[in-house]
Amino acid sequence: MTTIYIDGDEFTLENGEHINAIQAAARFGIEIPYYCWHPALSVVANCRMCEVEVGSRDPKTGEIRMLPKLVPACQTPAKDQTVLITKSPKVLEHRRMIMELLLLNHPLDCPVCDQAGECGLQDFSYDHGRAEHRFVETRNVNPRKDVSDRIQLNADRCIMCTRCVRFTREITRTGELQVMRRGEHAEIGVFPEYELDNPLAGNVVDICPVGALLDKDFLHKQRVWFLSKHDSICTGCSTGCNITVEENKGAAWRHKPRYNPHVNDYWICDEGRYGYKVANDPELLDATYVLEDGDHRATPIDQAIAAVSRNLALIAREGGKIAAIVSPFLTVEEAYLLCKYIKAISPSSVLAIGPIPRSGEDATWLPDKSQGRTGDVSFVVCRPFTIRAEKCPNRRGVEEVVRHFQGEVIDYASIGARIGGGEFQAAYVTSNAPEPAFDESAATTIRRGVSFLVVQDTRITPLANQADVVLAGGTYAEKAGCYVNHDGRLQFAEAALPPREGVLPDLDVFSILLERGAAPIRSFDVLAELAAEIEVFAVAAGGRIAEFGGTIGGVESNRSAPKNGSVYEQVYQDPWAGVRR
Amino acid sequence: MRLDDPCIKKLEPPKLNVFERTYLPQIIDGLAVTGRHILGVLRGESITIEYPEQPHRPSPNYRGVHRLNKDEEGRVKCVACMLCATACPVHCIDIIGATAPEGWSDREKYPASFVIDELRCIFCGMCEEACPVDAVELTSFYDLTGLSREEMIFDKTKLLSVYDLTKDSEPSRMGNLTTF
Repeated sequence: MTTIYIDGDEFTLENGEHINAIQAAARFGIEIPYYCWHPALSVVANCRMCEVEVGSRDPKTGEIRMLPKLVPACQTPAKDQTVLITKSPKVLEHRRMIMELLLLNHPLDCPVCDQAGECGLQDFSYDHGRAEHRFVETRNVNPRKDVSDRIQLNADRCIMCTRCVRFTREITRTGELQVMRRGEHAEIGVFPEYELDNPLAGNVVDICPVGALLDKDFLHKQRVWFLSKHDSICTGCSTGCNITVEENKGAAWRHKPRYNPHVNDYWICDEGRYGYKVANDPELLDATYVLEDGDHRATPIDQAIAAVSRNLALIAREGGKIAAIVSPFLTVEEAYLLCKYIKAISPSSVLAIGPIPRSGEDATWLPDKSQGRTGDVSFVVCRPFTIRAEKCPNRRGVEEVVRHFQGEVIDYASIGARIGGGEFQAAYVTSNAPEPAFDESAATTIRRGVSFLVVQDTRITPLANQADVVLAGGTYAEKAGCYVNHDGRLQFAEAALPPREGVLPDLDVFSILLERGAAPIRSFDVLAELAAEIEVFAVAAGGRIAEFGGTIGGVESNRSAPKNGSVYEQVYQDPWAGVRR
Repeated sequence: MRLDDPCIKKLEPPKLNVFERTYLPQIIDGLAVTGRHILGVLRGESITIEYPEQPHRPSPNYRGVHRLNKDEEGRVKCVACMLCATACPVHCIDIIGATAPEGWSDREKYPASFVIDELRCIFCGMCEEACPVDAVELTSFYDLTGLSREEMIFDKTKLLSVYDLTKDSEPSRMGNLTTF
């Protein structure tokens, strides 16, 4: 048990964790402002914003001895009998002084700066700064420059916290960024021809507390206070990174990482970061189509669903077999309803998992406490970050659902051959993959094998061109539901955008096919139902999922998971990120 | 500005004496104004005008149709910060920002599109107050008419042309502050 004293109040830390004063104070709702400290990076204490009065208390006599000078809280371990004073006139005056220093050369261009609204300088200047500017010399003006094709550096806005430099040295260990020149002329930069182009480079924009590093993809497009944030899961690969999809005016504008110690830590890869474009693609299917007289006609969704229902029932009644290909891009709830529907029409139907897209090899970044570090690492907990070769979000989840309904999981390679062999009379194929899952020849094989083909997809693919009924599915941003990542972690993704005009989300389509009533379907209700029915998903009992998700099958993954209740098990967000209330 | 800012001067309403609390002086004052007007009309000093033959000149702080100001080089002054769109209580301003063209060395952002829906606008003047570069201003144009709804949605070209029409008769109210 650790007892610390903050502003005269006594607090106890249960776990005996090794955390710093900022983390300890934040646990008890006391904010110590900071810029340069980041929980995943080594402590350099160079912004001086978090300095507080620190002392220690003698437990026997109760005597408190304070250090004569202010001490950076990011470097102060919250050990037993530590005394912190965070609101004394001395500390407040110091913060005012530091804000003035940091803003000496800072241009007053908040109206055109993309960081405005989620900027550490704006927030702390309002809380701790002063309104006047006493600097009479000419301000340093550094022109804008590019550190890569995707990231722009506005060096005049930089406060030299070196978070970005430490990120490239300690997390990616590529070290593209460094501080060039000294003192007032110090500037972040890259060497010519060695630009910041590693696969995690976009994270430097997120960790920059000011508007110095900006994403050129988002540059000048939106003001951040117009964006609504939706907690979602990246569907780019089977890691299942936690992200927020930020949306305004019916379009997604960017992805930002969300902290999850079990999955992605504080980071996302650039592939996932720019993956939001899938949701805005003008080529997405805009209506449901039914093949009539050799031509695909746009048909109202209810008629198309009725046609699917009628034809599949007819084939089943005549003793025909139905094959369903369950895409690994469907959520657990959607896969559950689809399997339930197909098995309800005809128990002889065969369920198979769709093609699993793979590209390249798994790439893992494993930060090390001794590699590339520049400062105190005693508060850092190293966790790996992996970009998986398996480019779909929910293989594990779909497999578990299919296994429940059928007892075995059939992969696409074998079902494809069986469909081609003419074993089935009808096929229900789902995809929703960003790249067409079935090429021309696979599409022709499936088409030739069956007399009735239903395709549910988000875009026009070779298979959709040959289908009898094309149902338009929702993109990842248009549907709510759970995905099970590579590790077996069940995580919930919110819907960020309303369904496109003329399109029903997949869950509603399956719900109508199952004749579950006309009321809109909620993914939580389906999740509760399937958690009760399928033992593996018991972690989602009642349709409730923990903040950081839960492991299916009750088996905790082998990842170095933090202990319950520890500081790393709490949601972390930089104080300036997000909406200020 | 914070509510507890020491610079804020709080004012109390004036205390009324016994005579004033009868409200007779206020009533007499009001009747005097009415009386002056009646006498003025009798003397031939009309307080109405023969509109539209005789043009009406609103007061200098009248809030009419918007204009988008231009700088000395004839470029649009707006930097697409969208503070007007943020301040607008009826959401009638729609701006699409873009990176400024090469050669605009003094700013990095400009409005690719700037649209005000004059039908939805309530002419409150919040956009004018929010603008950090005094690019959007309300003019004294009050006789705003159109034959269709589309015509009343003013785009950048139309708003800039309002500036060309009014720049001589109505110089910028805020003076010429520095741009970014």
